[in-house]
Amino acid sequence: MLSRAASSLFWMARYLERAESHARLLDVSLTMALIDVPEDREEQLSVPLLVTGTLEQFKELYGDITPQHLIDFMLLDNRHPASVFNIIQSARDNALHVRGNLSADVWDSINLSWLEMKELRETGVTESNASQIFDWTRARSHIFRGAAYGTLLRSDAFHFMRLGTFIERADNTARVLDIRHKMAIASQNEHATRSFFEWTALLHSLAAFEAYQQIYGHNILPINVAELLILQLDVPRSLHACLHEIVALLEQVESGDSRKARRMANSLYANIHYGDREYIAERGLHPYLTDFLARIHAIAGQIQKDYMGWQR
Amino acid sequence: MLIQTPGEGLYDELFDEGHRVRPHYRTLENWLVNSDESLIAEKRREANVLFQRLGITFNVYGQDQGSDRLIPFDLIPRVISASDWQKLQSGLRQRVNALNRFLHDIYHNFDIVKAGVINAEQVFANPQYQPGMQNLKLPRNLYSHIAGIDLIRHNDGDFYVLEDNLRCPSGVSYMLENRRMMMRLFPELFAEAPVAPVDHYPALLGETLRAASLKPDPTVVVLTPGRFNSAYFEHAFLARQMGVEIVEGADLFVRKNRVYMKTTVGPQQVDVIYRRIDDDFLDPLSGNPQSMLGVPGLYGAYRSGNVVLTNAMGTGVADDKSIYPYVPDMIRFYLSEEPILKNVPTWQCRKPKDLKYVLEHLPELVVKEAQGAGGYGMLIGPRATSKELRHFADLLKARPCNYIAQPTLSLSTCPTFVNEGIAPRHLDLRPFVLSGKKVQMVPGGLTRVALEEGSLVVNSSQGGGTKDTWVLEDDLC
Repeated sequence: MLSRAASSLFWMARYLERAESHARLLDVSLTMALIDVPEDREEQLSVPLLVTGTLEQFKELYGDITPQHLIDFMLLDNRHPASVFNIIQSARDNALHVRGNLSADVWDSINLSWLEMKELRETGVTESNASQIFDWTRARSHIFRGAAYGTLLRSDAFHFMRLGTFIERADNTARVLDIRHKMAIASQNEHATRSFFEWTALLHSLAAFEAYQQIYGHNILPINVAELLILQLDVPRSLHACLHEIVALLEQVESGDSRKARRMANSLYANIHYGDREYIAERGLHPYLTDFLARIHAIAGQIQKDYMGWQR
Repeated sequence: MLIQTPGEGLYDELFDEGHRVRPHYRTLENWLVNSDESLIAEKRREANVLFQRLGITFNVYGQDQGSDRLIPFDLIPRVISASDWQKLQSGLRQRVNALNRFLHDIYHNFDIVKAGVINAEQVFANPQYQPGMQNLKLPRNLYSHIAGIDLIRHNDGDFYVLEDNLRCPSGVSYMLENRRMMMRLFPELFAEAPVAPVDHYPALLGETLRAASLKPDPTVVVLTPGRFNSAYFEHAFLARQMGVEIVEGADLFVRKNRVYMKTTVGPQQVDVIYRRIDDDFLDPLSGNPQSMLGVPGLYGAYRSGNVVLTNAMGTGVADDKSIYPYVPDMIRFYLSEEPILKNVPTWQCRKPKDLKYVLEHLPELVVKEAQGAGGYGMLIGPRATSKELRHFADLLKARPCNYIAQPTLSLSTCPTFVNEGIAPRHLDLRPFVLSGKKVQMVPGGLTRVALEEGSLVVNSSQGGGTKDTWVLEDDLC
């Protein structure tokens, strides 16, 4: 397939995954801010800004971290490249570029998200209807996934799209885990209820709360959470699950010469596939995840070089 | 709902002179009269939402980027009887055949010029004539593989060819999407009326494009200027329907006079380019050096016979308004047949006698630029102010060769939904004619309608809308 089309599909899927991640992140932070004591509220609200690395830009544009400011900045602000509004616009732009490769259903799902997003931006979002919007964002993501899964030919167009999804998802899981795990550990010195909420916030941010309950039961232990989100293959947002898909997709993609991205992905996959919780504990979660993020970025860059950055 | 009666002296598609419903409109008229206004209003809203969702929007040149607009879609179809279509079809086939023969001739033997049917200056001095196309052998001697012929029905009830579009005619996606929309909104209508299907157009187009190359299984691509082009939706739509890649200039490159596309597995040779970019922008090395849309070296590859362009370069000379008056003579000259479709009588202002007549009768005439398109830069005499008339008279005297003039035709009308209900509005018709191993077309075309009362300008850039076009499979309905 065309290199340019592969790149647009890859980015289209990354953006759509990102919109969903942001909605979850924001949803959890706003809920946590309601539960928290007033002095810790700001810390909760700043999580989405830390994960996306936009705290400074936010402060420049808005000053105080209030729920409404956060909603405006993360959902609707077109000055903020990672606002859900801009993300969906970018996804739709990329989709427009590759309309020839998309089924009518997939195009419709993305275009409709964009049309509805534009309307949302007109009407505005407040604290009281924010959770509806988060539901909407997640639902739009599900519809896209369903349309893609149900209607697209399993060609390289599909594979490059899926690669975008899992690169983005791995990146998001690692970032959220890194920041929220640290907060949850810090809260353990405080009372038990507070700590429990911190851990559930982390799990909810990655749609893994129910999975934790089923695998480990009620008692939330930090090392279990790390294991769940890194090593458990069956958890859809775990790093293991993402890498598993990435490696399989790179095998399926039609390939000319030997491809470096494939080797890099397999090597990272092996680390996780044969990794264990003791090693992570020994190494320390933060250094472990920092290393992971660097490697997943390198893989993403290499995929673009191998298949999309075209040199004669 | 009530259908307003058509104006005096006009041909109406639905009512005959005695205000009786024409037989091929009976089903539709019956439905219209019995339809509730609120239901129709509801369906119109639904159609708008659906078109937005499909993303069938277009940009108007000279307006804000990103101001995506929908071409207004009218719910009342334009119906063509089986016998009318039979005649149109043979006429179109004949005309496009002759035009392709003409193009081959003026780039090879110049028979028509030697025979004195058309004078040399008008062909060779035409800015659209591409000397570089001389003696280039094209598969099947085809130049305009995809032609869009604009027709109108005059008040004598006959169809006239208004214009031949032999370069990159657009609008076919509206023909297809309008039909899809009608079937979705009013399935019951299609159960009653024997409407000929059009949805095999992309299949025929694919067949035509593959036949443009002599290779057994050629690689075909659609070349688009990009997503900001007003017809991008159509380019992507056709590529998807045909299962071929849609490419931009930057996706292609030329090496050793062969064209390749840049794919995820390396270069892949391209054999046929269905290009939706004008001649001048195709290759910055031979055409407009500023062009970012084209492919450097494409012209060389084309001249070497390693790639086929559809349509060919240099077809513009045959659809130029100054050549238009000669099409009936071309048909006689190349095919030894009498033209089936009528031409609109045309005064060529280059001829002193014609210019004199035009200047004397300016308020009755339509004056067009010989190379204009899209309804820009034309004068409609009967609608013009005296200031506009004076202005055009000056233009004509200054550069007579640039203009042709025609009588103001009364385009036929068809009932159309407007704010005040259902009223007659003027329309035209653009069928798409495909030339490959044979000349083919689907029964139908793009019907454009002028939405303002009395207006004769149907171009979408000037506020025109579109309708579904029904060709009936038998006459009584």
